[in-house]
Amino acid sequence: MRIYLRELKANFKSLLIYTGVVAFFVVVGFQKFTAYAQNPEILDVLDSMPKAMLDTFYMNAFNLTTVEGFFGVMYAFVALILAIAAVMWGSEIISKEERDKTVEFALTLPVKRSTLITAKAAAALTNCILLALATWGLNAVSASGYDPGPEFYTFLFQGMAALVLLQVIFLSIGIFIGCAMKQHKRAGSVAISILLGTYFFSVIAGLRDEWDFLKYLSPFKYFDPVMILRESRIEPVYLWLSAGIIVACLSGAYLIYQRRDLYI
Amino acid sequence: MNIFLHEFKSYLKSVGIWSAANFLIILVYFSAFNAISLETAQMQTMLDAFPNELLIAFGMNDMNFGTLLGWFGVVFLFCQICLAIQASNYGFSLVSIEERELTADFLLPKPLSRVKILTAKILAALAALTITNLAVWASSFFTINLLRQGRTYDAAALVMVLSTIIVFQLFFLSVGLLISLLMKRVRSVISLSMALSFGMYILNAFGKMIGEDSLEIISPFRHFDPNYIINHQAYNWSLVVISLGVILVAVPASYLLYQKRNITAAV
Repeated sequence: MRIYLRELKANFKSLLIYTGVVAFFVVVGFQKFTAYAQNPEILDVLDSMPKAMLDTFYMNAFNLTTVEGFFGVMYAFVALILAIAAVMWGSEIISKEERDKTVEFALTLPVKRSTLITAKAAAALTNCILLALATWGLNAVSASGYDPGPEFYTFLFQGMAALVLLQVIFLSIGIFIGCAMKQHKRAGSVAISILLGTYFFSVIAGLRDEWDFLKYLSPFKYFDPVMILRESRIEPVYLWLSAGIIVACLSGAYLIYQRRDLYI
Repeated sequence: MNIFLHEFKSYLKSVGIWSAANFLIILVYFSAFNAISLETAQMQTMLDAFPNELLIAFGMNDMNFGTLLGWFGVVFLFCQICLAIQASNYGFSLVSIEERELTADFLLPKPLSRVKILTAKILAALAALTITNLAVWASSFFTINLLRQGRTYDAAALVMVLSTIIVFQLFFLSVGLLISLLMKRVRSVISLSMALSFGMYILNAFGKMIGEDSLEIISPFRHFDPNYIINHQAYNWSLVVISLGVILVAVPASYLLYQKRNITAAV
């Protein structure tokens, strides 16, 4: 419990910074939305285009003149920010002890290594949830000026719930990397490469049928805002995949950290 | 000179990894895109028929789907993200690493002024970034010529796009350095550099997608938008000067701050 509280306190500043980033992004985004809100002209243009063309670019998926549609477009970027926060927190919360040369102290405490990881992971998870809550609140407040219907709030809630799951995936990947890397300095860079790789996959996965399989490799593709908005659900195969990644990473992390040789 | 060599050597491994990553990105993504570019030639004619306002709204006004360089613009954006992370990593760790690893106690008593130390360090980082820069040049020409299958491309436009890399890198290097000097203590370089480089990327990507220009004009991703350069055969000078201005402010400011910096010592 003490470790948990200590970690929460140590990460509080970082949480504030990420909340600031999200707030900045939401403010800039909604400021742009004012140009589109209730402006049917752009809809007329969209209606005059061929259906196949709209499908290719997902333009029919979201109606940019409504708050839901606008949030749907912002969703991918919010997901990216939250995922970066999660993967950084995960990899750093373990590897920072070695970087700051406090690992001798942490590991001579009368707690098992597994308890240490649990406390740290719980602190990072709390941070992730707090960040998601903040994002939720910020979006709800910014949107309230455009008097959104109940479907916006449902979409926002379900979308944010999906993002918490996305954060947990990246958090477990981060924790695994933090535990598994022999050189603590590498943990951050490896975490970033994985994040970048999966993000690039998600960008190109939709472009061509043959690359469709890439969507299984990229957690960014698991939570499709179109489906959440229209059908309020996520494909079950992605839920299983997410669960698999989380369980595999966390159990790997516990196993490896038990017998880890520390850099002192 | 010793400091320069020592620093430069310590960059070599990381330069190798980043250059290889950029080469792989260009090769893999360009060959993938190249496969669609043949199919999408018709799509371009379709796109041309749409009203320009709409294409601007979706950030597609500057994209040319049917040509080699149109796709190269998309691939180059991925490279830019990597280059931005690398340059801001170097910038944030340039002087902060000495305090974090307690080697400042060893470095600063050397009979050298801080100006000289900082100059040597900046030059070493710049040399390292230039090697990656050259690797991107070589990989771009190599990949395009490998895959063009007899189609032609505008080499002058490609040279123009690739020439922006050095300024792009300098922006992130100098801003990273300046921020690290404004902070009392830099704990984690990578979180800061991620925030800077991805922040700029998201700002630009989202800003281009909808609405009018607002804050995203501070993003170098905007200043050196490859699609703009390819289509207009020119730089967007009114935006490029923002980057140049930031560099010209950040470098002297870093010198000033470093000279007056209160260094955290080991004891």
